[in-house]
Amino acid sequence: MAKPTLTLLSDLTPPSLERTWLTAPHPTLPIVATCSSDKTVRVYSLQNFKLLSTITGGHKRSVRTCAWKPHIQGESVLATGSFDATVGIWRRWDNYGRSENASGWGVEENDESNANAETTEDGEEEEWRFAVLLDGHDSEVKSVSWSPSGMLLATCARDKSIWIWEDLDDGDNNFETVAVLQEHGGDVKSVAWHPVEECLASGGYDDTIRLWREDLDDWGQVACIKKHEGTVWFVEWEGTETAPKILPAEGVDAESLRSQWRDQHALSGPRLVSCSDDRTVRIWRRLPKQMMQPGAMSSATTGIPSIIRPSGTDETWEEDAVLPHAHELAVYAVAWSRRTGLLASVGADGRIVVYEERVVRSTDSDAMETESAEGKTLLTTEWSILAVVDGAHGIYEINHAAWAKRADRGSDGDEEVLVTTADDGSVKVWTLQG
Amino acid sequence: MENSNPTILNAADLPTRNRPTVKSGDYPSGIFAAVPNPADFLSSDSEDDDLLEEPIDEQEIYDLIRSISDPEHPLSLGELAVVSLPDIFIKPTLPNVPDSPLQTVTVLITPTITHCSLATVIGLGVRVRLEQSLPPRFRIDVRIKEGTHSTGDEVNKQLGDKERVAAALENGALMQVIAKMMETCQ
Repeated sequence: MAKPTLTLLSDLTPPSLERTWLTAPHPTLPIVATCSSDKTVRVYSLQNFKLLSTITGGHKRSVRTCAWKPHIQGESVLATGSFDATVGIWRRWDNYGRSENASGWGVEENDESNANAETTEDGEEEEWRFAVLLDGHDSEVKSVSWSPSGMLLATCARDKSIWIWEDLDDGDNNFETVAVLQEHGGDVKSVAWHPVEECLASGGYDDTIRLWREDLDDWGQVACIKKHEGTVWFVEWEGTETAPKILPAEGVDAESLRSQWRDQHALSGPRLVSCSDDRTVRIWRRLPKQMMQPGAMSSATTGIPSIIRPSGTDETWEEDAVLPHAHELAVYAVAWSRRTGLLASVGADGRIVVYEERVVRSTDSDAMETESAEGKTLLTTEWSILAVVDGAHGIYEINHAAWAKRADRGSDGDEEVLVTTADDGSVKVWTLQG
Repeated sequence: MENSNPTILNAADLPTRNRPTVKSGDYPSGIFAAVPNPADFLSSDSEDDDLLEEPIDEQEIYDLIRSISDPEHPLSLGELAVVSLPDIFIKPTLPNVPDSPLQTVTVLITPTITHCSLATVIGLGVRVRLEQSLPPRFRIDVRIKEGTHSTGDEVNKQLGDKERVAAALENGALMQVIAKMMETCQ
């Protein structure tokens, strides 16, 4: 079987002329937002790969990060985080993005669905309304993330803190500070919400990954994973709908294996992936609560067993896998597809690597089934490299990768694209073929 | 001032190629000789040579950073031996990808005293100078020479953090200090 290849579909044009840090795909519309060192955010179409709007005027320094608020109707809301220590909230009515016209926004500006638009006469840039500036961090904001419901926004900064804000949705753009979490010993580089629960993961300059939950009105740390040997640059959660690949073979009942894997996986819930300055990409799994015997508390995964005290909220996280070594320099971002379960990583070596998880069958290895504590058999999986692109953005470092729904061939189909963002301002869209 | 009596090297004794007496292709010999880039010998007969980027060697890196001023002495990093030619290394970044143009420049810094609080600023100055002077195919790795600073690992981590360096470049007060250090560079 021929190996799949990652093929360049298009660049997003025109690009920023300065470093771009991150590109966030919209949760429902075929658009992405790219954060740039030129203090702006560019919104591009995934239908024709062209620039739709440039959001300017909100930040005094580089825009480092942004995230789209999920689950809102008729309007798009974008949170931006900047080196100027502030978080901006921006709003825009969705009328143009719904156009069936492949040219995207800006063509049928004057049709009847336009009633709510602010204005069309002042040019497109006016359509993004600056809603509010969240002021609280002392230094550069590095990452922002909306909770799955869209109610909570987590932000983190070089000031070692994570702030959790509640969007009061009172029509007046009011946000309330719910918690300020200060356990990290250095810059907090990345925050990411669990796909369904109100559980936050963070990673940072102190080489740790931490998990946070609310317990009786108080937000607190429930786990600290100390196994990376360098800054943790990015953390991301697994989706809830995907499963590892089961290669067809004689005597293998793929459906029953898949359902066995789902049952086993449901005990732990979605896993977490992290990437680091130590060049590794690692996957973490929560130990199911019923398996957490007192002895499990001394698990070597934390390195600091004394911090993990058995109580109602504390969790034990174990290393599930270290992905095959594929990067020569720092790994800056990792993207876990919520459609296919594929992982992609990018970094300072300019390389894109795509990985696939497969169930290990007994013919491949004797280790297919291991005994769990209850005497039940557990399926094991294995990650392998599916595709590698060297010099994906020429000589430039790649700062971010994200999976998005393919939109350049109409809205049908469930095909996926990978969007990568680099130091020279280029953003490239790739498809996995073969 | 933390170290009021640093060892000073005579500027005239420092290895450099920035002198009229040294003709192109005529590498300085002796213990300070830079290792010539093999590309110099491999690409001698092509007409396109003039269009190609000139190879960059350790001596050129040294000449770029030796004239940076120390933030607290009226002397250059070369004169104070904070930077020195034998502590500069150029290597392919991706040895397993033969046609990759990426090269990593490593500069080891020797602070004048082991608890120098300005080590981070000096390292940042060296990194900024190289980032602004070298083509983007170079990955720049500036670190404190092992055993020469009490908090070397901390300083190295900060100097190696792309995001922190990028933010520092947008910090006006810090950039004023760096700009002052660069005033003595050509």
